[in-house]
Amino acid sequence: METIFESIFDDLANGASNLSIPYRSRTATARSRLLPDAHDSSAAGVRPDGLVTFPGRTPHEANKFASLLRILEISREAIATGTVITKRNIYYQNTDLFKHQRVVDSLVDDLAFTLGVGRDDLNIVAAAKGLIAGPVTLTMRNNSVIPCGLSHESGTLIPTPKLIRKIDFGLTAWILVIEKEATFRTLAAAGYHTKSLAGHGILLTGKGFPDLATRSFLNIIHSARPHMPMYALVDYDPDGLSIVRTYQVGSSSLFHEADTIAPELRWLGIRSDQILPSTQSTETSASTQSSQETSDGSGHEPSIAERSGDELSQLNRTPRPMHNRNAPLEALSQLTPRDRRMAISMLQGISQEQRVGDTDGLDQMRELQMMLMLNIKAEIQAVDNLGDITHWLDERLCE
Amino acid sequence: MSKQYLTLHTVDNAHIADIFSLAATKSCILSASGSSTLHIHATTTSSSFPLIQSISNAHRLGIHHVCTSRGGPGHVAVSAGFGGELKVWTCKDTGDWVLYHEIAPDKSRAWAVALSADENFLAATTEDGRVVVWDLAAKSKVQTYETGSTSTGGGPFGLAVDLSRDGRLTASGHQNGGVYVFNNDTGRMVYSLSGLAKPVRAVAFSPGCKRLAAAGDAGIIALYDMEHGEHVGNMGGGGLGNAWITSLDWNETGEYLLSASLDGKVKVWDVARGACVATHSETDKALWSARWLPRSDKALGPGMAKGEMFATAGANRSVTFYREATGIDTR
Repeated sequence: METIFESIFDDLANGASNLSIPYRSRTATARSRLLPDAHDSSAAGVRPDGLVTFPGRTPHEANKFASLLRILEISREAIATGTVITKRNIYYQNTDLFKHQRVVDSLVDDLAFTLGVGRDDLNIVAAAKGLIAGPVTLTMRNNSVIPCGLSHESGTLIPTPKLIRKIDFGLTAWILVIEKEATFRTLAAAGYHTKSLAGHGILLTGKGFPDLATRSFLNIIHSARPHMPMYALVDYDPDGLSIVRTYQVGSSSLFHEADTIAPELRWLGIRSDQILPSTQSTETSASTQSSQETSDGSGHEPSIAERSGDELSQLNRTPRPMHNRNAPLEALSQLTPRDRRMAISMLQGISQEQRVGDTDGLDQMRELQMMLMLNIKAEIQAVDNLGDITHWLDERLCE
Repeated sequence: MSKQYLTLHTVDNAHIADIFSLAATKSCILSASGSSTLHIHATTTSSSFPLIQSISNAHRLGIHHVCTSRGGPGHVAVSAGFGGELKVWTCKDTGDWVLYHEIAPDKSRAWAVALSADENFLAATTEDGRVVVWDLAAKSKVQTYETGSTSTGGGPFGLAVDLSRDGRLTASGHQNGGVYVFNNDTGRMVYSLSGLAKPVRAVAFSPGCKRLAAAGDAGIIALYDMEHGEHVGNMGGGGLGNAWITSLDWNETGEYLLSASLDGKVKVWDVARGACVATHSETDKALWSARWLPRSDKALGPGMAKGEMFATAGANRSVTFYREATGIDTR
């Protein structure tokens, strides 16, 4: 970064006709081709990377140059003073210059990519939106202490991961990543992180699609405790699977951001076999020999009384009440055309990656195909018991 | 009276992904799954039903449907991929299947497929509720049936389709429980059938073309008369939480109907009596397809009896073959 500023100052001192900032777009590079906005005609000669120059060929490029220069100034000052600035703050420095928040977001990420660093190395962070609840204590670099187990109702806002100096995990045995804030708040209010049969744990939500700070935080937790199990609880729909996959492998638009992925995250649910009526048989199936039933009657299914008897005997065989009942049909809904397009797009993405030994990918492909076959989706509420999902979670966390 | 069917053989791990569809000819059975490969097993040469061909990369995102003509010569098969593309395969004299034609994905992707008995026509449902018919010799689209208004984004998702063996009718089953029958000569819808209020995942014309069977998430099989479009009866049901039916297939005489369901059960129904005469539960995982095997003109291999046979496949990734117990065969 200093080299960029020195180069600009030298050009100014020498009366050069152009000023330039190296710039590589992530999307252009992702397409395996460089897309330079301009070529530098300075005495330094043509560079292999693209450049944004001033005054440039278009007003758009001039604006881009000014925006990049401003972001570099802000980042440089943040690094020098040891502070961190959010992308939101950058936008508000010069709203007229940047015009839209997404312009700042995109330029910051492209700049990090060009310089070959993570966004955090520029001391620029996204405003965190993730919440955490659990018996852990975070000590920040400025020595402030954040206990995360006190706010039962609302959880604790995830701090800037870069500024965390130490995490005291206490008795924490697991972490559960939850798609929806409402589910998170319900579980936090119930104190599930300390009352679970699986022991103490951390509840974390990214409030839908996870931002980089939340993903970085999960990565930090995993780095500190590599063997602590991590689970994901999302809706049974393409968005839910997309969220799991983003935590596991990152998003395609930010592939240069290291330290933001959690490949060991396990998808706890919601899965097709947890919601479908009749896909879980309560009968003992003879796998080695066929069991043929014959009937002389009308072929009716067993009567309600008979089924109740089966269910009662099933209950008696377990030490805890069975909460494995299938979702009520009202909790299932039909995939929208957008859902189907997204599922197919994800199938394409996973099949293109074709990572060796990507068992998670194969598992996710199977579930996406099941969604498409069934043409249904379901929310987390599909498996709760009148709003209480704790028993369902206990069973799966204790497996 | 009950009917006995024996489990003849199971091809374990026939696919590396869940099997979603089966299609039978007189000499082989094709299976399609979430993997990109079509597998073909011989059905007349050996009771182990050996794998005789694998077509790799048939559909990159996996295959959800495959069909052959019911009652036809069995020289053509059509497969449908999750990406929305259809591929037409022909069987050479050597027994090898080769690609004959590919139909690119439409704006609204194709879903279920059916071939006419003479193998000249292909019918496919779409996600926006249409039924499209292609002339395979001309490689062109010849008819499009609508079940909803195009101005409102089309009709309900078409989950199932069948063509009557006389070529006269096309039937489709839809997400909203609708069952529609179209006259191929006039190009018009002739019946809109009610009786199933939940998604209809299978429709099948009887070999004599007089009856249509339909089934799906309601867990019952509805029977309709094709002369007047009347709902003439139901089979199954009567209980709460019936398993969703995923597949239906009539045997060659039209006496028996095969059904497969998500609870892993395959059932044989005596249509005249409206009764289930046999149930098998080789697996408790979802079954996606059940197909009778057409009687072969050729001599059967050693160990294979002459009883009527059917095959099932689903989420356990195996193909299981059943044979009628000949000791009780009354024919």
